[in-house]
Amino acid sequence: MLIELALRNLARTKVRSVLAIIGIIIGVMAISSIGIFGESLKAVILENFKDVADEVIITPDYTHGYTSIDARTVKKIENLPYAELVIPVKSESALVEHKDRKTYVTVYGMDVKKTKELFELEKGTYKGCLMGSKVAEFFKLRLGSKITVAGKEFRVSGIIKEGARFDINPNYAVILPLRNFDRLFNKDYSMVIVKVEDIDKIEAFKEAVNKVVNRKESKVSVFEMKIIIERIKEVFGKMTLFLMAIAGVSLLVAGISILNIMLMSTIERTKEIGLMRAIGAYRETILKLFLTEALILGLVGSFIGGALSFLGGYSIDMLILKTAKYVLTPSSVLYVILGISFGILTALLSAMYPAWKASKLEPIEALRYE
Amino acid sequence: MIELIDVVKKYKIGIHEVIALNGVSLKIEEGEFVAIMGPSGSGKSTLLYLIGCLDKPTSGKVLIDGMDTSKLSDRELTELRRNKIGFIFQQYYLIPTLTALENVELPMVFKGLPKDRRQRRAEKLLELVGLGKKKDRKPNELSGGEQQRVAIARALANEPSILLCDEPTGNLDTKSGRIVMDIIKRLNVEQGVTVVLVTHDPSLSDYADRVIRIRDGRIVDAD
Repeated sequence: MLIELALRNLARTKVRSVLAIIGIIIGVMAISSIGIFGESLKAVILENFKDVADEVIITPDYTHGYTSIDARTVKKIENLPYAELVIPVKSESALVEHKDRKTYVTVYGMDVKKTKELFELEKGTYKGCLMGSKVAEFFKLRLGSKITVAGKEFRVSGIIKEGARFDINPNYAVILPLRNFDRLFNKDYSMVIVKVEDIDKIEAFKEAVNKVVNRKESKVSVFEMKIIIERIKEVFGKMTLFLMAIAGVSLLVAGISILNIMLMSTIERTKEIGLMRAIGAYRETILKLFLTEALILGLVGSFIGGALSFLGGYSIDMLILKTAKYVLTPSSVLYVILGISFGILTALLSAMYPAWKASKLEPIEALRYE
Repeated sequence: MIELIDVVKKYKIGIHEVIALNGVSLKIEEGEFVAIMGPSGSGKSTLLYLIGCLDKPTSGKVLIDGMDTSKLSDRELTELRRNKIGFIFQQYYLIPTLTALENVELPMVFKGLPKDRRQRRAEKLLELVGLGKKKDRKPNELSGGEQQRVAIARALANEPSILLCDEPTGNLDTKSGRIVMDIIKRLNVEQGVTVVLVTHDPSLSDYADRVIRIRDGRIVDAD
């Protein structure tokens, strides 16, 4: 009956109750929608790097005077445990020309078969000279176009699909088979990309590098991609929380409005409270009645707000990320649950003081209140 | 039994101290019908509220069935009011959002009775005050006399042994007032409920076994 009574009390001041609910809806929606957006943004960025999580980049240890990795060291790395795929890469900055346009780009040399493991092609085949999409765009290249790299002519055999990597930026790269690269430049390897068997074996692999390659002196540094990904997750997680905190201000405002209407209603219902105390209601019963009213406002507002926040998240995602495929993920649902919990909590916290005040009324004074 | 021993009640209104009751002692036996009469401001309502455990005396003792109410906690006083005392007020004080039946149920809700039991009892009580057919009406759909009868039914919800009535006919016309008083008298005679009635209407004194007159916080005449 307490719930029934609470419902009817809320219905008594319909406009006020509806406004309070709208406040909660907006607050919960703001928090959850932004949570969903933050999570989607993180997912979009991480998706670009999902293939590189199990990769390790070995570079010369510049701090110890090494500027390249020699063939013997590469051989050692290839024989290390846990290394599933080892891709030694040479690189050099070179002038590339096509018709009347020319520019400097980084030219990479690597084993043709292994190129497949790193890049996807938009068109063409892996055998021969591959062009990054931005380079191809700059020169207006098609398959079979003739280009000049460091004074030597090549035909474009493939164009690399647009993408993102930390080690080699595929969009601005020109990739040559190792044999051709060696004919142009006389260089050792500039890095070795290693795919480790399993993401959990990265530590063990790093140890093996230090033991075998860096035994006497530190020739190479090992850099894990995993760290970057974790940093991205961390930074975006923090950013999402920050945005949610800003959205939380709207919930705070909703809370204050609940505080306000509850205070009004304790004053308006003073005599009723006095009567209830007179006919046998404990102080806690009055407290519970007011908290129940706030809880109802909180529950209704939060659940509507929670449901609508999928819509909100969808809208923001479509507007900013141009994709909605991350709206309905488990982590999004988590943010909605978080928003709903905050909504309910806000309603309850806001009602604490008015409810306490109502329960402290002395029955005789409440009955005589004018 | 109700017993007051040298009860003093002072109020502070701003910086002024008002002595509402100034050394009142009286005894009311079980099953008695007592009318407390006096002009307004004489302290008669204060006396009633002290008996009803809605207020505590500044000094002196109020004993209900031998229990010293000044020694009870707020929770115990609440239980005492709920189980032993029924209140009838001049302004009825019905909850406007509840129907007649639900208003009568309310004290039983606070007592924790199961729904079917309290509904059955509330219906019976409304029959008793002649409102069985209007049980689903809200207070604003009832006349003043009918609202006061609902209040009587509510006062009886937890089978109290004491009924405290504060000007129960004060807002009613003569006819409705008589109906209400007849019900209260019947409860006193048939069920042995102790009735303490506060009024300044001399015509109501005919219903009482005993009249206590009070003036300026003191009993001036008890017959």
